[in-house]
Amino acid sequence: MATSSDAASEAGAGPGHGPDPRAAFRGITNDVTRVALGTTPKWWYPAFAVSNLMLLCLVVALYHLFTTGIGVWGNNNVQGWAWDITNFVFWIGIGHAGTLISAVLYLFRQEWRTSINRSAEAMTIFAVAAAGIFPIIHTGRPWFAWWLIPHPNDMGMWPQFRSPLMWDVFAISTYATTSILFWYMGMVPDLATLRDKAKERWKQIAYGLLCLGWRGSARQWHRYERAYLILAALSTPLVLSVHSVVSFDFATSQNPGWHTTILPPYFVAGAIFSGFAMVATLLVPLRYLCGLQHIIKESHIEAMCKIMIATGLMVGGAYGIELFTAWYSGNAAEWFTFRNRILGEYSWAYFMMVSCNVLVPQFFWFKKCRTNPWIVVILSILINVGMWFERFVIIATSLARQALPGMWGYFSPTRWDVLTLIGSFGLFFTLFLLFARFLPIIAIAEVKGVLPEAHAGKDHH
Amino acid sequence: MSSLDHGYWKSMAELDRDLPAETEFAATSLESSQSDDPDGPDGPPADDGVDPLSRRNFAKLMGASFALAGVAGAGCKRYDREEIVPLARRPEDQVPGTTQAYATAFELGGHAQALVVTSYEGRPVKVDGNPEHPFAGGGIVTGTKRHGGSTAFAQGSILHLYDPDRSQSVAHSGKGTSFSDWKAWISDLRKQSNFNKVRVLAEATSSPTVQALRRRLNGEMPGLIWHEWEPLSWDNERAGMVQAFGRVVRPLAHLDLAETIVALDCDLFLDHPAALRYSRDFAKSRNPDASTLGRGRMNRLYAIESAYSSTGVMADHRLPVRSEHVLPVAQLLEALLVGGAQPRADIVSDPKVKKVVEALAREIKRNTGRVVVLAGRKQPAAVHALAARLNQTYGSSTVEHLEDPAPTRPSHAEAIATLAREIKQQQVETLFILGGNPVYDAPADLDFSTLLGQVATSVHLSEYANETSAKATWHVPRAHYLEAWGDARTWDGTLTLQQPLIAPMYGGISIIELCAMLLGDETPTDELVSRTFADSGAGGTWRAAIHDGFVDKTQLAAQAVQASGGGGVDLAGAQAGAGTGDLEVTFLQSSSTYDGRFANNAWLQETPDFLTKVTWDNVALIAPDTADKLGVHSQDIIRIKVGDRSLDIAALVMPGQAKGSIGVVLGGGRTRAGRVGNKQREWVGGGFDAYKLRTTAGLDVIGGATVTRTGGRYRIATTQEHHDIRRGMSWSKTVGEVEYAKKIPDLVREVQLEGLADPGYKAETDHPYFHDHHHGRGYSLYEEKKYEGRKWAMAIDLGNCMGCNACMVACQSENNVPVVGKREVTRNREMSWIRIDRYFKGDLNDPEVVGQPVTCQHCENAPCETVCPVGATLHSSEGLNDMVYNRCVGTRYCLNNCPYRVRRFNFFDYHKEFQDARNNVRKLLFNPDVTVRERGVMEKCTYCVQRIQGAKIKAKNPAPYGDNERGFMPDGTITTACQAACPTEAIVFGDLSDPDSRVSLLHKDRRNYELLGDLNDKPRTRFLARVRNPNPELAASSGQPAGHN
Repeated sequence: MATSSDAASEAGAGPGHGPDPRAAFRGITNDVTRVALGTTPKWWYPAFAVSNLMLLCLVVALYHLFTTGIGVWGNNNVQGWAWDITNFVFWIGIGHAGTLISAVLYLFRQEWRTSINRSAEAMTIFAVAAAGIFPIIHTGRPWFAWWLIPHPNDMGMWPQFRSPLMWDVFAISTYATTSILFWYMGMVPDLATLRDKAKERWKQIAYGLLCLGWRGSARQWHRYERAYLILAALSTPLVLSVHSVVSFDFATSQNPGWHTTILPPYFVAGAIFSGFAMVATLLVPLRYLCGLQHIIKESHIEAMCKIMIATGLMVGGAYGIELFTAWYSGNAAEWFTFRNRILGEYSWAYFMMVSCNVLVPQFFWFKKCRTNPWIVVILSILINVGMWFERFVIIATSLARQALPGMWGYFSPTRWDVLTLIGSFGLFFTLFLLFARFLPIIAIAEVKGVLPEAHAGKDHH
Repeated sequence: MSSLDHGYWKSMAELDRDLPAETEFAATSLESSQSDDPDGPDGPPADDGVDPLSRRNFAKLMGASFALAGVAGAGCKRYDREEIVPLARRPEDQVPGTTQAYATAFELGGHAQALVVTSYEGRPVKVDGNPEHPFAGGGIVTGTKRHGGSTAFAQGSILHLYDPDRSQSVAHSGKGTSFSDWKAWISDLRKQSNFNKVRVLAEATSSPTVQALRRRLNGEMPGLIWHEWEPLSWDNERAGMVQAFGRVVRPLAHLDLAETIVALDCDLFLDHPAALRYSRDFAKSRNPDASTLGRGRMNRLYAIESAYSSTGVMADHRLPVRSEHVLPVAQLLEALLVGGAQPRADIVSDPKVKKVVEALAREIKRNTGRVVVLAGRKQPAAVHALAARLNQTYGSSTVEHLEDPAPTRPSHAEAIATLAREIKQQQVETLFILGGNPVYDAPADLDFSTLLGQVATSVHLSEYANETSAKATWHVPRAHYLEAWGDARTWDGTLTLQQPLIAPMYGGISIIELCAMLLGDETPTDELVSRTFADSGAGGTWRAAIHDGFVDKTQLAAQAVQASGGGGVDLAGAQAGAGTGDLEVTFLQSSSTYDGRFANNAWLQETPDFLTKVTWDNVALIAPDTADKLGVHSQDIIRIKVGDRSLDIAALVMPGQAKGSIGVVLGGGRTRAGRVGNKQREWVGGGFDAYKLRTTAGLDVIGGATVTRTGGRYRIATTQEHHDIRRGMSWSKTVGEVEYAKKIPDLVREVQLEGLADPGYKAETDHPYFHDHHHGRGYSLYEEKKYEGRKWAMAIDLGNCMGCNACMVACQSENNVPVVGKREVTRNREMSWIRIDRYFKGDLNDPEVVGQPVTCQHCENAPCETVCPVGATLHSSEGLNDMVYNRCVGTRYCLNNCPYRVRRFNFFDYHKEFQDARNNVRKLLFNPDVTVRERGVMEKCTYCVQRIQGAKIKAKNPAPYGDNERGFMPDGTITTACQAACPTEAIVFGDLSDPDSRVSLLHKDRRNYELLGDLNDKPRTRFLARVRNPNPELAASSGQPAGHN
C-alpha cells in the first residue's frame, strides 16, 4: 500500500483543506494520472494473470462449444435455456449501475456520483461485453447469429419482429452503443490530461489520438457539457428499457413463472441492485490499491450501500408480489410454479436467492457494515451471487416443470457450463484491469468541478 | 468381386467389371474363392482402400437387379442366371424418385408378421403392416376398410438390414474363410453314409418350406435329429391344451365379440404372437359409440398379473399378484364358477382379490358364451388348462381352437435338454445351429457354451457373429428377411410369403438355402417357396400370392375339442411368501431387444419401454413395498439368488409390480451383439445377462429367490422421471407429486361407460382459465389466420393406445430421427418426435396407468412461432407448423415456449457416426424425402409433411401417375408414419375442411378435447377421452368417478 500512503501525503491534507485551491486540483490530477502513467503497481500483475487465466477458460470453453455443439452444456429438451441465458441476464443487470450513476444521478445533480461514475461506466461496458457474448454463443449455429440483425440480402430473410429476442438485439446494441459513447466522451478531457502528463513519447501519441485533439478551450467545454447532458438524457430511459426488454424474453412467453407483468420493473430494480453491488465489489478494493480514498470516500461507499438497501427491498417486495399474484390469480399452473420454486427440487436455489438478495442487504442498515470495507465487499459479493441465482431460479426452475409432467426434467450443469461462467468473469476482470491501469479511473474534470475550491469561497462540502 | 463379401465395393471399375458378366452379384459372392478380409468376422472390416458404398453405386446396382426382376413386385431374385444389358429403357413401374411397396413377412419367435415394405430405388427404407392380410389387417374406425398396423420390432427390423455389424463372411474357428470352403465341407458331410450323430438346433419357425425341407432331410439323412429352441415360447399353452383336451390345439380368441376378457398374467397386446389382431379386436369394442358389441356397450377387461403390462394398462380392473399366485386365483375363479373346493393359498383370502374374483365370477356367469380367458406365456400348463376349461364353458362363441401345425413337437425346453443330454453322451458330432443364439439364451443349467465345445463340428447360421458363433466351428452369415425368400404362418395359420427386396448385402444365406445345400438341392429358393405354395392347395397364381404377400384360406382348421373332466391339479397352489427370503423371479420379454436378439438395434434400444420408460438397459422390477422392505432403491445393483445361481442387476422400483415378485427383463448383457448392443460401461448401457438365472426348470417363474443389495449403483436412463427416479420414485408428498396427481385427470381425460351414457357428456371443458368475457373463448392478441384450403389435423384416441411403441419406431424410421445414446437420454435429450407419456394414478402399489402419445400439436396459435427471432418456424396455409431447418439458428426459444415440449434440439452432430466409413452403409436407410438435420437446429413432428406433399403432387398429376381426377385426395390418402404403424388406429390424420373425413368426425366426437386447451393455442391435434368400463360392483375400488374430470 505504498502508493496509497504516498498519495495521502502528497495530496497534503486533501481537497478542501489546502490554502491554495490550485493545489487541490493539482492533487486530484496527480493522484489519478499517476495510476495510469506511473509504474505498474505490484498487485496488478497477479490480478491480471488470474483474470487472464479465467479468460483463457472462456476461450477453451468456446472453442469446445463451437466445435462440438450446445450439448457440451447441460441444456436439454426440457430446459432449452439454463446457465447461458442466466449469465446473459446477470451481466446485463450488472451493466445497469453505470448508466444509472452517470446519467440518472447526473440529471438529478447527485454530485457525489463524480467519484465513481467513470469506473461504474467502464464496468457497465465490460459487463455488457460479457453479457453480449451469450446471446451469440447460446445459439445452436452461432455462425448464423447475424441473421438476427435486419440486413438487406438476396436470401429473402428478414427477422421476425414479434420475437422478444429480436427486441433484445436492438435493446442491447443501443445500450452498448450509448454507453460506450457516453463513457468515451466523458473521458476525452481526462485523456487530454493524460496526454499532457505523459512522459514517454508513445504514451503521448496514444493518449493524444484518443483524446481527439482536446485542447480545453471554453467552446470545447461548452459543447462537451451540452453533449454530455444530451447523452445523459438519452441514456436515462435506457436504464429502464434495456432490462425491461430483457425481461420480455420471459414475460411475453406463455410459461408459468415467466408470463408475469411484474417482470420489467422487477428486473430493472434487480439490475440496479446487482450493478451497485458490483461497483462496490470493485471500487472498495480499488480505492485502497490505487490510493484514492480521498476521492472515492467512505461516504460514497455508504451511499451505494444505501441504494442497495433500497433496491434490495424493491427486489424483495417483487418476490412477495410475484407470489401473491400467482396465488391471487387463481391460475393453478402459475401457483404451482411458484410453490415448486420454493418447495420443489430447486428450493435450495430459491433460498439462496432470497437470503442473498433480501436478507443480506439488511446488514447495510448498520453504519458499521457500511463503513467496514471487508464487510461491504463480502456482502456485495453475496448480493451478486444472489442475483445470479435469481436469474437461474426464474429460468431453470420455471422450465423444469412445465405443463406436461411427462416432460419434467432437471438441469445439471457440466464442467463447460462452469468454465463458461468463470470465463465471462475473466473477460470482465481483464477488461476492467486494463482500464484501471491505463485509463483515468476517476473523472478528473468532474471531480474538480465539485471540489469546494471550484466554488470560490463557498464551502458547501 | 471378393470385396462384395463384406458389402463394400472398392471402386466403380470393380463393379463395372463384374456386373455385366455376373448379373447376380450375390450369387457370385457366394462362390468367390477367397475373402480378402484378414481379420475374419470378428475383427474390424479391412479398411485399406475400402470405399464406402456410395448411393450412386448402389442405385446403379439396384437398377440392374430391377431390370431382372421377373416376378411381379419382386425387388430382386437370386440364382437366376441371365444375361443382362444396360438399362436402355426404364423398367415398368420404376419411376426414379418414387417408391415401390412390396408385401413380405417377418418372422419372430416362430410366428409371421405380415408386412408391406417401401423401397426407394431398390433400397428398402420403411416397414409397415400389410393391410390386406386376413389376420393382421382390417379397420376399426368407421370409414376405414383396410389398415395394417405393425409392431415396434417389425418397424425396427429394417435397421438390421443396414447394420454394418452384421456378419459379412463365413468363418472357420474364428477365422474368416469363404463360402466355397464351407460348401466343400458340406459336400464332404453329405458323403457320409450315416447321419446318426448329426443334429440340428433351429430357432422356431412356422415356415412350411422349412418343414418340407426338414422332412426331406429326415429322409435323405437318416439319423439326423431336428431340435427347436426358442427362449420365449408359448409351449406352456400347448402343455395346458394337452391337459385340458388331451391334444395340442391353438386357442384363438375373438376379442371383438367378447363381453368379458380375463388375462391371466397374459400380455395380449404386446407379447402375444397374435398381439396385433388382439389389439385390433379389443379396440373394436372399446368405443361405445361404435362398438362391435352394439351401441353403448363395450367389453370389460380384467388383468391378473405380476408385472405391469400393456394389458394391465388397458384393463378395467387389474389385480397385481405374483405370477405364482395366478394359479390359486384362477382356481378360486373356477371354484366360484363351477363349484368344487377352493384353493387354500393365502392369496385368495386377500380382500381385494376375493372381491374382484367374486365379482368377476358373477359377471362371467352373466356373460356365458361371450367370455375369453387367456393365460400368459409364463403361466404353467395348469393355468392354461384351467383357462381352456373356462373358455369351453363360458367362451363357446368367442374362443376357437385351431389345429396345431406341429402337434407332435416336443417343447423347446425339452428339445434343448434332449440335445444337451445327447451331446453329453457323445452322440453329437455335427451340430447345425440355424439362427438363434443358444450360448447366450439357453437355460443356464445346461451350460450350453461348454457343451458346444464338446461337439466336434458345429455350424452356426446367424445374422451376427454372436456369442454362439464364437464357440461354433463354422459361422455362416445369415440373410436378413428382406434379402431372402421364405414363408411363415401367422398365429391363425395364414401362409404369409416373405419376398426379398434386395440382394444379400453381405452375402448371407437363409435357413431354407442352408437346408437346400445340405440336401444338395440347387433349386432357387423362390422356387422352393413357390412349390410349398403350390402344395398348400390354396389355388391362385404364385404371382398374385407374392403380390398380396399371403395366401388366403390357408388358416388352420378349427377343431372341436372337449375338455376332459376337472382340473385334477393340486389345489394347494403356491403359498404366499412373507419374508424377504421368499421372492419369485419372473422373466419378462424386453420391449426393446425381445429376447436379446435386437440388442444391436439402436432404434429399439432407445425406444423407452412404455411402462418403465427405461432405455438402453434391462432391469429388475420391484414393487415399492417390497423395495422398502429390502431397503432397495431404484438404480441400486441388487443380487438375486436362486439356489446357487445369482445375478447382479440394476433395480427399478416399479409402481404396480406385484409385491414379492421381481420382474427380470431379459435381453441384456450381450457380449458379442455388435458395437451397439454389447454390454458396455454404465453410461453406454447394454444391461445385464439375466439368462444366468434362467434354468430348464424355471424358464418363466422361479420361486424362493433372495435379493440383497450389493452396494453398487447403476444409472438407469429413463425418458420420464429423469429426476424422480433418483429418489426411487418414492412419491414423498412433495409439491411436484401433488401437482402431478392433480394435473393428470385434466391432461389424460377419462370417462366411465355410465358417464358416457349421459347424452350431454362432453370431454372438452367450457370455461378454461382466463376465459375472455368480452371476446369469448379463443381471443388472440394477434390476427388469426384464415384457412381456406385444406386443414390438416390429427385425432388421437386414448382409449385405443396400448403403448406398443410401434408409432415411435415408425416415426424414427420415417423421419430419419437420430439416436442419441444412453448418456444423452439421462440428460433429457432423446430426439423422439412422438413420445408416449405414461402417468400413474392412485395407490403406489396398485396404481392405474394411463398413456398419452404426444407429438407436435400443430397449434393454430403456435406459441413457438411468435418467439422465433429469425422466422424459422412458420405456419403453412394448410395449418402445418413448419420448421425451416436452413433458417434455424438454434436459440431454443421455441422449445421453451412450447407447452407440449415436443421440440427436439440437435445438441450435437448426431450423425457424426458417418465419419466412420463402416457406418456409411446406414445412410442407405435414410428416407430420401426427409432432410437430415445438422447440429444446432431445432426439429419436431411435421405431420409427415413429406407424405402430404407426395400425395398432393401425385394428385395434381394427371393419369397415369395420379389415380384420380386432378387434385382429388379422398380421405385416407395420406397416412402419417405413426398412424400407419398403430395397430388400433388410435392415431387418425386427415383434412378438417372435409366434413366427412374421419378426423373431422373424430374432432366432433363428444369425447374430443384439446390438450392444455386453456392456453388458447388451438392445437390441430385433439385427443379423445379414454372410456373405462369398471364393473359397477367394484366401482368404488377403481379410479375416477364417472363424468369428465
